[in-house]
Amino acid sequence: MITVENLVKRHGNNEVIKGISFTCQKGEVDAIIGPSGGGKSTFLRCLNGLEPFQGGRVTIGEHVLTPDTDANRDAKLLQAVRRKVGFVFQQFNLFPHLTVMQNLIEAPVVLGENADSVRARASKLLERVGLDKKHDAWPRDLSGGQQQRVAIARTLVMQPEVILFDEPTSALDPVMALEVLKVMEDLANDGQSMIVVTHSMHFAKEVADRVHVFAGGHDVEVGTPDDVFGKPKHETTKAFLSAIASG
Amino acid sequence: MLHRFAAAAMFFALLGSQGARADVLDDVKKRGELRWCGDQEGGGPYVYPRDDDPSQVTGFEYDLAAKLAEYLKVKPVFVQGQWDKLGDMVSTKKCDLVLNGYEFTPERIEALTPSIPYYVYGLQLLVRKGEPTFKTWDDLKTPSGTKAKIGVLTGSGAETKMHEFCGEKNERCEVINYDGGTDTMREVETGKLDATLQDTPIASFYAPRFPGLVPTGDPVGKGYYVIYVNLGENALRDALNEAVILLQRSGDLEASYRKYGIWDKAQAELAGIAEMGRFFGLDKAVRAEVKQQEMPKEEIVHTEVRKHGLEVFSTYGGIMLESAGLTVVLAFGSFPLAILIGLLIAVGRMFGPSFIRLPLAAYVEFLRGTPLMLQLYFLFFLLPEVGITIPAFWTGILGLAINYSAYESEIYRAGLQAIPPGQMEAALSLGMSRAQAIRRIIVPQAVRIVIPPVVNDFIALFKDTSVVSVVTLVELTKRFSVLSMSTQATVELMIMTAGLYLLMSYPMSLVARRIERRLGGVAA
Repeated sequence: MITVENLVKRHGNNEVIKGISFTCQKGEVDAIIGPSGGGKSTFLRCLNGLEPFQGGRVTIGEHVLTPDTDANRDAKLLQAVRRKVGFVFQQFNLFPHLTVMQNLIEAPVVLGENADSVRARASKLLERVGLDKKHDAWPRDLSGGQQQRVAIARTLVMQPEVILFDEPTSALDPVMALEVLKVMEDLANDGQSMIVVTHSMHFAKEVADRVHVFAGGHDVEVGTPDDVFGKPKHETTKAFLSAIASG
Repeated sequence: MLHRFAAAAMFFALLGSQGARADVLDDVKKRGELRWCGDQEGGGPYVYPRDDDPSQVTGFEYDLAAKLAEYLKVKPVFVQGQWDKLGDMVSTKKCDLVLNGYEFTPERIEALTPSIPYYVYGLQLLVRKGEPTFKTWDDLKTPSGTKAKIGVLTGSGAETKMHEFCGEKNERCEVINYDGGTDTMREVETGKLDATLQDTPIASFYAPRFPGLVPTGDPVGKGYYVIYVNLGENALRDALNEAVILLQRSGDLEASYRKYGIWDKAQAELAGIAEMGRFFGLDKAVRAEVKQQEMPKEEIVHTEVRKHGLEVFSTYGGIMLESAGLTVVLAFGSFPLAILIGLLIAVGRMFGPSFIRLPLAAYVEFLRGTPLMLQLYFLFFLLPEVGITIPAFWTGILGLAINYSAYESEIYRAGLQAIPPGQMEAALSLGMSRAQAIRRIIVPQAVRIVIPPVVNDFIALFKDTSVVSVVTLVELTKRFSVLSMSTQATVELMIMTAGLYLLMSYPMSLVARRIERRLGGVAA
């Protein structure tokens, strides 16, 4: 589904991703954990072309992103990639000038889909995330947890093959985080491919098929949740897990 | 007599000295109209709004234009322009000639072709009646205690004359510039000024309106009012000269000037000048038989006492309202265009390719950094030089729109910058193109944010519409100046003008506040 080969990302002279290779199969849930500043979010943003990168390649189905991919010249390619790869932001990024329903149908309608059929699909998705009564609400009138669930539904309307979650619960209090995680778990059970950067160890342990530990720009350890949490091999992983346990 | 001959010879010597050009006289005859330029703001007795119908003009130059047109067997059409721009009006063919107290000066004849004089003016010193200190020219020159304050019209011959008299650094007396002809007369009457120097026609015509003023000494600094046509339009100039000679000989000029109370002994020189025409190819006009005009027994055109109070409102309310209508049309016509251009520029500068950003930035800086008045002048008077002629009304709309688009684009740029980058990223991540994201997600939010400053600018534009008088449009402020100059009912007209502006802009504020509540409340 998504194959990343030897990805390198620099900000000026500062190398934030130092050659990471990574695959995510169809129906698979990959969790990425690790200390802050380890390159997790940047990595995710490279996968749907929000960030250009300086080395390696990213293959999404039949599409290939390389360091030569240009936001203007390759706009069509990037659009095609993003229709396959959904993205959920830490800060939700709902469109404040549109209602909940309008947020969901805006992109598909702009891209030429029939408004009525999109609206029907969107209604089902709002029901699925538990917000079927909020069609006409404005984003600013929703709680953070509700906003994030709208954002997830908005991504789902596009029927992406894989969804990237960038710390989706970090801006939420524990109760609201739980609402969101429940929705994500539900999606995972339905076979939705996902790559999730998260600080929720519960989600990584219980929902993910594979767990990656990113630190210092490297994918230092990959394995099943049982392996990574039960028998961590790498020193960084051990230090990170014990820090979380004591925190 | 000798110096009279010299003066006349000077005018005729110009005959044929300038290269002939395309023939405006033919155009005039073909059109059946003689379009003559003047500025009714100059006031009486030249060209000024009629008492019974302020949308029409009258004046001794209005009468003269009618006679000239009659001679050419065409209809006279008055074309309003700003006084100091009348020459440009002629050279860009917006009218055929200037007939509005334009003096014969060496500077003007470089750019325009003059006729022979139709009036000999002098400069009359006016002082306050019963004033003990400053009674004569000599009193002004030898200050006793404080220096005398003398008011003059900016850019007039009187200003030059007074500066010579008082000294370059106002050593002997103080010269104070005014923009309105009769403003200085009021100021002398009320005591803010000690004297004013006026062209003789104004001093005579407005004497009844200012009973507190007396002329002192004889007029000084004799000069000539002439008709100006475009440089090299000799056929038209010759025809006008013939007409002036005939009107002089028949007594038409004298009769008309007597009617306005501006005939004085200086006008005797006109006969000598007309007579000289026979040496300069105008022999036919000099010798033609003319029917002598009967002289009026007394002045027929009286300047009544100043109108006051409610009478001013009832007489001029209609025309003021009409002019306010033009202000509204200009504002509503230009501002949407300004917003549209401004938005496109802001989007181009924020999201466009780098090669268009610099020109757009230059566009904004240029238009913000130069006066609107100059931009209008450029559109109206300089574009015709390269063959682009835009009518006055559209020049006003376009000029205001282009000028304000620079300000609006900066407001929109600020609005666009205020939208968090996450909005663009979210839209892109949903598969929208950049253009779609800008159009559907970014711009709608930015537009809502900037409603208050945009409305603020709209109200400012309402008042800036007054600058369009430079392109001959008479909107509310210009109408105020025109009427206040000819009626001196300044206070009443000012109240009316301010009231009308307020009446126009306040509802705008209310409407804007409603839009703001409806749209702005939605933004996060």
